[in-house]
Amino acid sequence: MGECPCDPGGYFIVKGQEKVVLIQEQLSKNRIIVDRDNKNQIHSAVTSSTHERKSKTHIDCKGGKFVLRHNTMSDDLPVVIAFKAMGVTSDQEILQLVGSEPKFAQAMATSLKECSMLGIFSEGQALDHIAKRIRTGGRGTWERTPRRSKRDEARELLAHVLLAHVPVVEYDFAPKVMYVAQMVRRMISAQFDEEFMDDMDYYGNKRLELAGQLLSLLFEDLFKKMCAELKRQASVELAKTSARAEAYDVTKSVREDIFTNGFNNAISTGNWSVKRFRMERSGVTQVLSRLSYISCLGMMTRIMSQFEKTRKVSGPRSLQPSQWGMLCPSDTPEGEACGLVKNLALSTHVTTDDDEEPIRRLCFSLGVEDVHLLCPDDLYEARNGAHLVLLNGLILGVHRQPHKLLATIRQLRRTGHVGEFVSVQLHPTHRSVNIASDSGRVCRPLLIVDNGTLLLKQCHLDELAAGKREWSAFIKEGIIEYLDVNEENSAEIAVSEADLRGERRTQYTHMEIDPLTILGVCAGLIPYPHHNQSPRNTYQCAMGKQAMGTIAHNQADRIDTILYLLIYPHKPLVKTRTLDLIKFANLPAGHNATVAVMSYSGYDIEDALIINKAALDRGFGRCMVLKKFTQTFKKFPNGSCEVARPPPKPSPAAAREGLRERSSQPNRFRLIDDDGLCMVGERIHQLDLLVNKHTPVNTRDDVPYSEHERLPDSALRPSPLTYKGPAGHMDTYVDRVMLSGNKNDRQLVKIRVRSTRRPELGDKFSSRHGQKGVIGRIVPQEDLPFTDMGVCPDIIMNPHGFPSRMTVGKMIELMAGKAGVLEGRMGDGTAFKGDSVAECSVALVKHGFNYLGKDIMFSGLTGEPLKSYVFVGPIYYQKLKHMVIDKMHARARGPRQVLTRQPTEGRSREGGLRLGEMERDCLIGYGASMLLNERLMTSSDCFQHIDVW
Amino acid sequence: MKHVSEGGLPAHLEKQRTRMFVKNAAPEHTSTVEAASAYAASGLENSFSIERFRRDFRVEIQSLSAEEAVFDLIGIDAALANAFRRILLAEVPTMAIEKVFILNNTSMIQDEVLAHRLGLIPIRADARVFQFRGDPPDDPNEYNVISFRLQVKCTKQRSSGASPGPAVVGCAPSTAGSGASSDAGLLGSRVTSGDLEWIPQGEQEERFRDAPIAPVHDDILIAKMRPGQEIELEAWCEKGIGKTHAKWSPVCTASYRLLPEITLPKPVTGDDATTLKGMCPTNVFDIEDLAGVPTATVARPRNCTMCRECIRHPGWDERVLLTRVKDHFIFSVESTGALPPETLFQESVKVLMQKASDIATLLKDATAGQQSEP
Amino acid sequence: MEVEVCGDESAATFTFHNEDHTIGNTVRYMLNKMPETSFVGYSVPHPAEPKMNLRLQTVGPPATQVLHEALGNLYQVSEHVLKTFEAAVAKHRTEQGAPELR
Repeated sequence: MGECPCDPGGYFIVKGQEKVVLIQEQLSKNRIIVDRDNKNQIHSAVTSSTHERKSKTHIDCKGGKFVLRHNTMSDDLPVVIAFKAMGVTSDQEILQLVGSEPKFAQAMATSLKECSMLGIFSEGQALDHIAKRIRTGGRGTWERTPRRSKRDEARELLAHVLLAHVPVVEYDFAPKVMYVAQMVRRMISAQFDEEFMDDMDYYGNKRLELAGQLLSLLFEDLFKKMCAELKRQASVELAKTSARAEAYDVTKSVREDIFTNGFNNAISTGNWSVKRFRMERSGVTQVLSRLSYISCLGMMTRIMSQFEKTRKVSGPRSLQPSQWGMLCPSDTPEGEACGLVKNLALSTHVTTDDDEEPIRRLCFSLGVEDVHLLCPDDLYEARNGAHLVLLNGLILGVHRQPHKLLATIRQLRRTGHVGEFVSVQLHPTHRSVNIASDSGRVCRPLLIVDNGTLLLKQCHLDELAAGKREWSAFIKEGIIEYLDVNEENSAEIAVSEADLRGERRTQYTHMEIDPLTILGVCAGLIPYPHHNQSPRNTYQCAMGKQAMGTIAHNQADRIDTILYLLIYPHKPLVKTRTLDLIKFANLPAGHNATVAVMSYSGYDIEDALIINKAALDRGFGRCMVLKKFTQTFKKFPNGSCEVARPPPKPSPAAAREGLRERSSQPNRFRLIDDDGLCMVGERIHQLDLLVNKHTPVNTRDDVPYSEHERLPDSALRPSPLTYKGPAGHMDTYVDRVMLSGNKNDRQLVKIRVRSTRRPELGDKFSSRHGQKGVIGRIVPQEDLPFTDMGVCPDIIMNPHGFPSRMTVGKMIELMAGKAGVLEGRMGDGTAFKGDSVAECSVALVKHGFNYLGKDIMFSGLTGEPLKSYVFVGPIYYQKLKHMVIDKMHARARGPRQVLTRQPTEGRSREGGLRLGEMERDCLIGYGASMLLNERLMTSSDCFQHIDVW
Repeated sequence: MKHVSEGGLPAHLEKQRTRMFVKNAAPEHTSTVEAASAYAASGLENSFSIERFRRDFRVEIQSLSAEEAVFDLIGIDAALANAFRRILLAEVPTMAIEKVFILNNTSMIQDEVLAHRLGLIPIRADARVFQFRGDPPDDPNEYNVISFRLQVKCTKQRSSGASPGPAVVGCAPSTAGSGASSDAGLLGSRVTSGDLEWIPQGEQEERFRDAPIAPVHDDILIAKMRPGQEIELEAWCEKGIGKTHAKWSPVCTASYRLLPEITLPKPVTGDDATTLKGMCPTNVFDIEDLAGVPTATVARPRNCTMCRECIRHPGWDERVLLTRVKDHFIFSVESTGALPPETLFQESVKVLMQKASDIATLLKDATAGQQSEP
Repeated sequence: MEVEVCGDESAATFTFHNEDHTIGNTVRYMLNKMPETSFVGYSVPHPAEPKMNLRLQTVGPPATQVLHEALGNLYQVSEHVLKTFEAAVAKHRTEQGAPELR
């Protein structure tokens, strides 16, 4: 099919556009979060999410009293009343549920007192109290069904709306009571001990929503919509009492395009609206960036956070230790989205839902004592080692030997009896065992270490290499397992095998597969990232996405809006393991340039680069820009349609004088062939026609011509597609003309225009270490310094770029590259390992080069040796998409806006350049205020004649 | 180094004048002292004298092949040696493809990229017998243009009875991945410089009977094609210089290095001698038995690449003195193949001579004009 | 080429068009090596302009004359280099036996 074998997939093609559904990050659902609110009060909250509804329940502590807050209630509800309404009327039982230790009793006292002050003692009174406070109308209303008493209504609310995720079967409130009690207990504990506070930014409390979940939400909504539609249709049909011959066929009323349209709409616009959850999200999908292969890969791993970008908070933006190994620590944008947009690390996996029921049954058979069977006091009895067992946040029961439970479940998971992504974790502070099987948890594979030895043996790897073994086998046999953030937290992970030989060897439970997997795809491009200052890696992550190169193997067949390609890309001399994994060598983006770190000529200040002219002559940094121009041919209701016409024939008189006419004025129809479209391979000049389209003058009334008949010229007016490109650039050609059609328009013409560019002064380049720079000067080869061997640098970089940026990785890349060249192999710059500097130095010496990589150079101007040694060697340089020819702009006089007669704005409109406040200040400061007056008043806004028409 | 110095300077100054010192931190005394009166106080004549130059200047050819010449220029200063180097890189004219008329190109390579690739192919033609076309260009004629034609079409090889055969099937697994893109069974799938066909204009065929004009190498890959694709074009070579575009540069590179001179101020003997010999990656040192003591000697100073490995370790920088002779240039010229390297060097000297005489004429004209003005 | 002589003729600035360091540095070197020169320097004022300036001050004789002499020296040096080189090549060929023929 002409698809690229390196294409990662993972996007939708909607209306001819590649759309990616970004991963959405949210706070996890159905979990109790205890933290401080904006008044610094301890507060606990749960977002309950079931397939029916989503709501948030809060418990606040107001003046020592615990109150429950929910959208459906107009007023805060004291927790004790809620307990009583759920059938726990005895104050003692309430206290036992929360905890009967003195500190809990004391904390609950005010709440209990308040309840008795209000005179609420029975279940009925409590329900009445609630019923009065149910909100009616407006947002957050709970639809009530008539024919029910107020009390029933209140009970219904408690059972199905409040904390909806806790199941209440036949009005048995026991689990919910337990749950509320648990919330209160955790709050009270948190008041005494900060340890009990939850961290909202802790990554174990986050869930990632992937395309599948988002689409399933959408599907459910659309399915409900379809059912409703069907019901409405059917009832309308059935209401028709007129005699019908055959039985009513429902299938006829099914609207089959609801799903297609719904999905198409959502994916192409990125607006996700699910009425059920009152979810209204925009920007969920984005057009896949095809700027470079890396940018395309980077987009698939991107995570968007739900936080507002404008909020100036540091918590959610900062790097959390719990993100270790799950999210890339380097790859995040700068500026407003900093830390909110994140990227997955290399081996991260996001879980999907796993069935709870088997796990629940398993737990009970492993000795979990059901909550229903226990006296509330037993729950928190520390003496008998009782730990709460929670499954996906719901209280399952109590287990007295939690470590044994943990070990058994893990054992079962490793043998494949329990889902591989089910996580179990012992929470020592909460004294609970948390079992999770829900979706959206991030997890990653780790090697299992048993008693200080790896379970993975060399024979396994040999089998893998021989193709006798697959990844899944490692998991099935319990050699590798997936740990989510929570479980990773309780694991002891060795970084390398050296750790397993150390003193603490027996303490380790797992080992990293490879430390480089803590980085993401974009950061994996950087050689020796562990030697760089960390912001430099972050800058490179942003810049790697702008590097030109090859996009896909099928790039020649693609017609993108704009495509930047390098003509002679190199694969990097210093590679990393990540680059091998993503097959970057097949689709590289950059050049191995010989770089000399020295100052030269003064045109290299502020990161400017000096470039060898001969290198440019030979193809260094040469790139191709492919642009798309489209033209649609519309069809009008009266049957007429737009047509492409051949270029106008010169009139006989003009034909006689044809030669002179053509030379005096450029022929804008030069490119147009007899079919009215431009010819492939022709050179394009500014304002040339690409499509000689004509539109009928009359598109409304019936015209006496049939559709297939050609309209006379008089009935048409020209509406051509003209080319407008960067001024002064001559090397632009018609690359491809594609004809196509779609449902609405008669015909669609896509023209791909190609321009080949050679680097010029001001074009932007960057190494792989966040060191960008523009070309400051292009120097002929003979003027450049040369080494003993006659090597001239391609690029001269000013050494001032190093001290403040501390990109030591770049220097090591140079050393590794130089050693690689001399040894005839690729250098390895993989994070946390790679060729060591000492190894590289030894290789350099072996081939007669200096140990430090610094060579004697001769000045190209005088021929004398330079007075210092120069650090020379190959560094991989990327050409970035920012080129001078697309940006340069100047204007003296030019177009103005009609309304205000002020100069237009922007380069594309040949706009004026703003003489701003500061520039104005300069002139005033200089004492040339009258110049300002003249230039800004007399010479610009003043008008003598105003045409009135 | 008698050929430069006239004596009269103290030994250490004389050394600094004629040698650059290669130290650990940085090279020292790298520049050449040029001013005529620089050593006037010491009684040393430093001014230029053509007689002295004629007496002292020597050329020694080290090696000579069709591609590369290595020779020593002895007794000349950096300014002049560098001028030859610069001229070789940028100002000795050659012929290279400059205009490409593309009649048909359905290959994957875009027209302008194809033209660029063609331009970089070295052409074996003596540029001395051609003229520059100038700006605006003169009309093309047999004295300023060489014409080539490239006409290749890729087709499927007509299977002569048998199937592709075991040669294709049995290829190693490592290349099996690229099996789909293999060129087996295709004709004209690789367009190389050998496909460029010279079209003699006028009497060119007669003039170049002995050395027909052709690309220097006939295996330079220009494009790869698949069945059905074809390239048909005409390419014109013009005369030009490397300053305009690197394709006209007659050399791969032309450069020089200074003659290394390694001295051991005090004898290095015994284990130290072995260490020293072992340290040098280019095998500069030998160990000789001098009066029963194994002593290190500098056997092959020319091998030295000035890697400073022998002075890197503490203490050694005092035991080994690395210097380079400032007026001894080991010149190497690598030709692209249009002309032999020794001819290129001769041409470069001629260009400098031409420049000198041209400027002298211009100077005469300019001063004459100025004098007549008032 | 432009010549700008100021005051007496012993000092002058020469502007060479379409020339660069190749001539600039060699002529500067030649002049520096002459006893008549009291100061000589050259510069390429801007990399985008194909222009080279040479400043020459002599101890007395007219600057143009000294420059002329230097150019003469340069010519002679080159001539000698060429001759010596050709001789060396010939010598090398005979030593190597079979002379290389193209």
